[in-house]
Amino acid sequence: MRTMKEALSYAHVVILIYMVQTGVTVFSLPQIEAQYFGTNGWLSVLFVFAAVSVNIFFMALVYRIGNGKSIFDLMEQVLPKWTLIPLYGFLIGVWSMIGLMIVKEYVLIFQMMAFPTTDPMLLKLVVDLLILYLVTKGIYNIGKAASVFFWLNVWMLFLLFFFFGDFDWSRMTTFVFQGGEDRKEGFIAIASAFLGYELCMLLFPYADRKTKIIRATLMGNGLLTFSYLTLSIVAFGFFSVQQLKEMMFPLLDLMAYIVLPFVERLENFFYGLFLFSIIVTSTVYLWAATETSKRLFPRIASKYLSFVLVAFQYAVSFLPDTLDEVKNWLELFGQIEIGIAIGLPLFVLILLIVHKATRRGN
Amino acid sequence: MRNVPRILILTLVATLLAGCGDKRILEDLGFTQTTSYDLLPTGELDITLSIPLADPEAKSKRMILRTTSVSSKESRIKMAMQTHLNLVSGQLRNSIFGLTLSKEGIWNHIDTLIRDPSISPQVKVTVINGNAGELLRKDYKQQPRTGKYIDKMLQKEAEGQNVPKVTLYHFARDYYDDGIDPIAPVLKDIGDHIAIDGIGLFRDDRYMTKIEPKDALIFAFLRGRFKQGELSVDLSRETHSDKQMAMLSGLMSTRKVKVNLGRNGQTTVTFAIRITGSILEYIGPYNLSDHSDKKKLENQIASHIIDKSEVMVRMMQKHKVDSLGIGTHVRNRMSYKAWKSMNWNDDVYPKVRVLFDVSVKIKDYGKFR
Repeated sequence: MRTMKEALSYAHVVILIYMVQTGVTVFSLPQIEAQYFGTNGWLSVLFVFAAVSVNIFFMALVYRIGNGKSIFDLMEQVLPKWTLIPLYGFLIGVWSMIGLMIVKEYVLIFQMMAFPTTDPMLLKLVVDLLILYLVTKGIYNIGKAASVFFWLNVWMLFLLFFFFGDFDWSRMTTFVFQGGEDRKEGFIAIASAFLGYELCMLLFPYADRKTKIIRATLMGNGLLTFSYLTLSIVAFGFFSVQQLKEMMFPLLDLMAYIVLPFVERLENFFYGLFLFSIIVTSTVYLWAATETSKRLFPRIASKYLSFVLVAFQYAVSFLPDTLDEVKNWLELFGQIEIGIAIGLPLFVLILLIVHKATRRGN
Repeated sequence: MRNVPRILILTLVATLLAGCGDKRILEDLGFTQTTSYDLLPTGELDITLSIPLADPEAKSKRMILRTTSVSSKESRIKMAMQTHLNLVSGQLRNSIFGLTLSKEGIWNHIDTLIRDPSISPQVKVTVINGNAGELLRKDYKQQPRTGKYIDKMLQKEAEGQNVPKVTLYHFARDYYDDGIDPIAPVLKDIGDHIAIDGIGLFRDDRYMTKIEPKDALIFAFLRGRFKQGELSVDLSRETHSDKQMAMLSGLMSTRKVKVNLGRNGQTTVTFAIRITGSILEYIGPYNLSDHSDKKKLENQIASHIIDKSEVMVRMMQKHKVDSLGIGTHVRNRMSYKAWKSMNWNDDVYPKVRVLFDVSVKIKDYGKFR
């Protein structure tokens, strides 16, 4: 095995980005589309896809102009480190909170379905220990684990064929985006379901030329769009729009509808498989938080930093204890994270330009 | 890479260990198979549960629990107090509603069933012409346990298009859709057996009227495409002749709906229905191996279906129930504003002109000329 300079491979990044992007929001995605966009809300996925691609383009600029250096190095070469402390603290906070809330929501849904009296925090503890274990292994191993988990997960797309019989195009109506609520809010809500691609900025130092990291990120995002789009189209032809608006988790209802000749009520099993994608999402966010904290505490080994972060977020996750609360928190942090996804590359770009200008000035 | 298997195992262990908290011991569970709902004159609900028993020591094959209460979940708590089993609803297959309750509206109960994550969206919705609880409590000697009997019969009949397959999912979907009204199969007690009594047509969640069982296949032609079914047609009236009968089997049917929004506000809807099937029985003057005779017969069957369809649609228009989903097709030809501003069920639907273009194709006529 090469140990000298390991780099993420193209396929690993594609899968990693796809897995990080697939989070708990996927369970309610068609409902969000119906609620905010109304009829044929599934089209909104395409708009978000376009917006995310533009966003990734800015990250590509950072990668190009910064010669693939870590964004932390790029920032620190212009600004004194102490001025960056608040920014780092903010990033650590947001990233670890997102990682935590996703697991909490997943666990609460699981509890609603299968374990009504088990303490959700106990379930969460088990998942968190796994995440801690995975995050200490470093990003290369996370990438490899994500590839294994990917295959446990992605075949479920084929289950969508099951709904062919009750699918009806005429149910979708010919109206586009009618009877919805505030579209701006909806756009943000759906964009939150795409989050995860922005973490590719932290992968820069772990990639080399062969990784083609930007193309891989675009590809992962494309894969996610494909899976969201097929899911949404099936949901809109299978359920009526008004019905979708009333549902909490359309994907769960879809999974519950599947009956095989020898077994039915498989939704618990299918739902269980989504754990893998939740673990990857949460792990990579936690890894991102750990990477950032390494900048603040370079002397402390990163596994201790991860441990402290997990312990901290576990303590915080006692606070919201109903599904609605967790959803609200996740929504809030999703919005902040969208801000980071747009703002961070722009900020680094400005610093890069300033840096180049001052160097030329000297 | 070598950590990956270890992580996988840990994940598995974590998932399995989580099962130790909420224990479900099979022998202690009462799997509700069928629930019946009836409305009492007092306004309360009369609810019956049928629970199959696997215990070889038990004398009876199933347990029946009955109570009256205001809501269905309250009744579950009350009924749990009557048994040594833990009542669970994960294996619920059928929810049957008495006619009186169906006429009052059943959405509240459907809503409760959909809300419960342990209940499958595949639970059937059925109307009983009469008292649902009485039918469920009765033991039919020559048949399996009543709950299972109903379930199996509905499943089989749905495959032959004699009743539609209607589950919680279908009912809720059509209830929320503004261009179609829900339907549900109707059953009734006929002494020693239970029989299909037609297809109940709902307006929102209230039962309005029903299609007779003999017309079930006509309804199936109009409702959509299907691949299996049998139809017996009495052509004596069409041909003014003595006795002429034909029985079609292995039916396959496709439906297309064309909408024409007339300038004068007269909406015309055309159902184009293509049916193919094999003749298994024919009593009458034609020689089926003769091509022109066969054509004549095909046309007669088609006009028979058209006649029946016209009567059926007129009946539905009279009751203002759009059970065929004509509204969804009209809606797709209109602007959103125009659709929303009109009162489809009350004002427009009863006045829509419905035309039929039916073609019947006899694939074969058995192994006898």
